[in-house]
Amino acid sequence: MTSSHAFRSFAFAYGTAFAVLYVVALKLDLALFTVYPSLGVVLLGTHHSRDVAGPSMAFLAPAMYWYGWTATAALGALVFGLVAAFLPERWAQRVWPGWLWVVPALAMIACVHLTLPWFRL
Amino acid sequence: MAVALLGAITHQTLAAWAPARNRPDSFFGRFRAVPSASYANAIVVLYAVSALLGGILYLDFRVDIRPDLERAGHWPALGLFDLKEHFISIGVALLPAYWVCWRRPRTDEPARTRAALTAILAFIVWWSFLIGHVANNIRGFGS
Repeated sequence: MTSSHAFRSFAFAYGTAFAVLYVVALKLDLALFTVYPSLGVVLLGTHHSRDVAGPSMAFLAPAMYWYGWTATAALGALVFGLVAAFLPERWAQRVWPGWLWVVPALAMIACVHLTLPWFRL
Repeated sequence: MAVALLGAITHQTLAAWAPARNRPDSFFGRFRAVPSASYANAIVVLYAVSALLGGILYLDFRVDIRPDLERAGHWPALGLFDLKEHFISIGVALLPAYWVCWRRPRTDEPARTRAALTAILAFIVWWSFLIGHVANNIRGFGS
């Protein structure tokens, strides 16, 4: 196993896995942490304002989940990437390289689907 | 920085999908006659730094701008902005593979893979640029 093969396998697996895991994190609202920028507070896990107070609190202390969703997907993809980096080269050669762009393209379409409710308000 | 990224990724995308043949004699021909691979390093750096700066600015957007847009009922604009966030994250994760495809290509690897990857990144960059400007300027509409 050469280092260039390992990095290639890591990069391909990481990009593909991230796209899938990001959609999963978005759909299931799995943020590794929640950021409250107006308070300067970061809480581990996904927190919604109704967990602790009335929904109107969201205007006083808006929560941000994007960083948390990204971190969730990045962490999961890191595991997939590291596993792929240690797989034999002949296994990696069997994988169709087109998945590298097909999967992210499908993930972007899935993001559009999950964002559609904004356009129905 | 975003404009430099726009220029670089647009050059590379056109050069990858419609490479110039022979000696280009028109503006469009010269535009796509660039050596595509030489843009990869710059695009990776510009994309990563732009995403990082955008991620920092996003904190202020969430506190100072987004609540106004919510109160004004600009839900479609907020939806488009959310898509921008999602696309940028997916794009950042593709950067290592994009770099490998351009700077360490394998002979048996189809050129379509890197061309498609470049097109996806170009779409994300253009989307982010345009939607970012719409979200930034929308408070001025009608005022």
